[in-house]
Amino acid sequence: MKVLLVRLGLLALVLAAWELLPRHGIVNPLLLPPLGDVLATLGELLQRGQVREALGVSAMEVLLAFVIAVPLGAALGVLIAENDYLGEVFKPMLFIVFAIPKSIFLPLFILAFGTGIQQKIAYAAFTTTFVVLMSAAAAVESVKQDYLLVARSYGATRLQILSRVYVPSMLPILLETLRISMIFNFTGVLIAEMYASRTGIGHLIASWGENFQMKQLFAGVILLAVAAILFNEALRWMEARVSAWRT
Amino acid sequence: MTFAIDVEGLSHNYGGTVPALEDISFSVAAGRFTVIVGPSGCGKTSLLMMLAGLRAQSQGRIHCLGKPIPEPDPQRVGVIFQEASLYPWLTALENIEFPLSLRGTPKEDMRRRAEAMLHLVGLTGFGARYPHELSGGMKQRVAIARGLVQDPPVLLMDEPFAALDEQTRMTMGHELLRIWSTTSKTVVFITHSLTEAVYLADEVLVMSARPGCIIDRIPIDLPRPRNYEMMATDVFGRLRDRIWRQIRKADG
Repeated sequence: MKVLLVRLGLLALVLAAWELLPRHGIVNPLLLPPLGDVLATLGELLQRGQVREALGVSAMEVLLAFVIAVPLGAALGVLIAENDYLGEVFKPMLFIVFAIPKSIFLPLFILAFGTGIQQKIAYAAFTTTFVVLMSAAAAVESVKQDYLLVARSYGATRLQILSRVYVPSMLPILLETLRISMIFNFTGVLIAEMYASRTGIGHLIASWGENFQMKQLFAGVILLAVAAILFNEALRWMEARVSAWRT
Repeated sequence: MTFAIDVEGLSHNYGGTVPALEDISFSVAAGRFTVIVGPSGCGKTSLLMMLAGLRAQSQGRIHCLGKPIPEPDPQRVGVIFQEASLYPWLTALENIEFPLSLRGTPKEDMRRRAEAMLHLVGLTGFGARYPHELSGGMKQRVAIARGLVQDPPVLLMDEPFAALDEQTRMTMGHELLRIWSTTSKTVVFITHSLTEAVYLADEVLVMSARPGCIIDRIPIDLPRPRNYEMMATDVFGRLRDRIWRQIRKADG
């Protein structure tokens, strides 16, 4: 409780500084507009058709990339974790490739897919697939051998072992994977939009920055930060609910 | 007479080369309690897995209730694992129901039988608890109940009490004897504890170090029901000493 108060106090302090320092000219308001002005701008932006459309485009890109990357990554991850031969061949390679910052491939995606929506989806799905793949493989390997042996000794079929042992045992890790993959996915879409695009909220934020429209820029940052935090917390709440048995 | 378990000339090699078990033959009469002891890595667990149909042997014959057991058959053989093998995402009752649910047993029937098992192991009222909310001894009781719920005539137990503290372990051994005496199962029980072996068994089989073979069969003719006072008697001590000497010999 006390810690919570300190946390809230710190947050209030930062927000107050953001409002008061530029307001009294201690910080240049052209570089950092006061919080109140930024929030007012945010309200205005949300009324604008152009901004709403951009948000819609970004949301669709995020969703489609997610829908492609999660099943693909999960299937590949389960495959290399379950099949010893495939695991031996691909695991070291994937670990090495995982270390490469994926953003250096962005120009390649622009050459291959242009600067439209497909490129954002392809790039975000590419970065996300890796994360899902690694976590899914780890999730499969986290299932204790004893659990499988017990099920087999009671005559469980392969399908029953999958649905009654693997899935419930992996569920908490899988939800965590969804959460983390969404962070990567979101980042992928935004970076691709900021890099080369005509649409999307990432593109708008980048152009506000280039045109020195600081109020709009900060409003965009707040908007995305809140969206990302809300999604993350929602999944964490679900995670906590299904993994109450994990101690 | 027909034996509940009849093993003849059983040998096993890992990967076709490393000898693990060598020419093992023994039989267990129906309703008897047999304990297997032996040094670590002697292949006790492998032997048990083969008796359960969970692993294939290289050579030899295993008959369980008169028939070979090429794959797990929970109607004939129940396996009781260490308490850590309970599914942590299921409640105690759901863990006990698990074997029944695999065979599509009607829900009410399943609940009734699981409740009866819970009562048998002395955990009435704890069915809704998750494993992490139970003590080590209580978890082991649930694991026993899970092994018994399909009422198999043969029970195999692989060091079920190894993870428990000494006191709980003795209590659980006593509990097991009580349950065994009301259900008249044939039991094969693996342990490292000599006291436990003598306390529980009708007969103790001593295995040698790898490649494992049976080097001694020691009948335990202590009267039943057993009680803790027997542990202090000379007979008990002599039996334990005999097993200990055999194991030391076995370890080389």
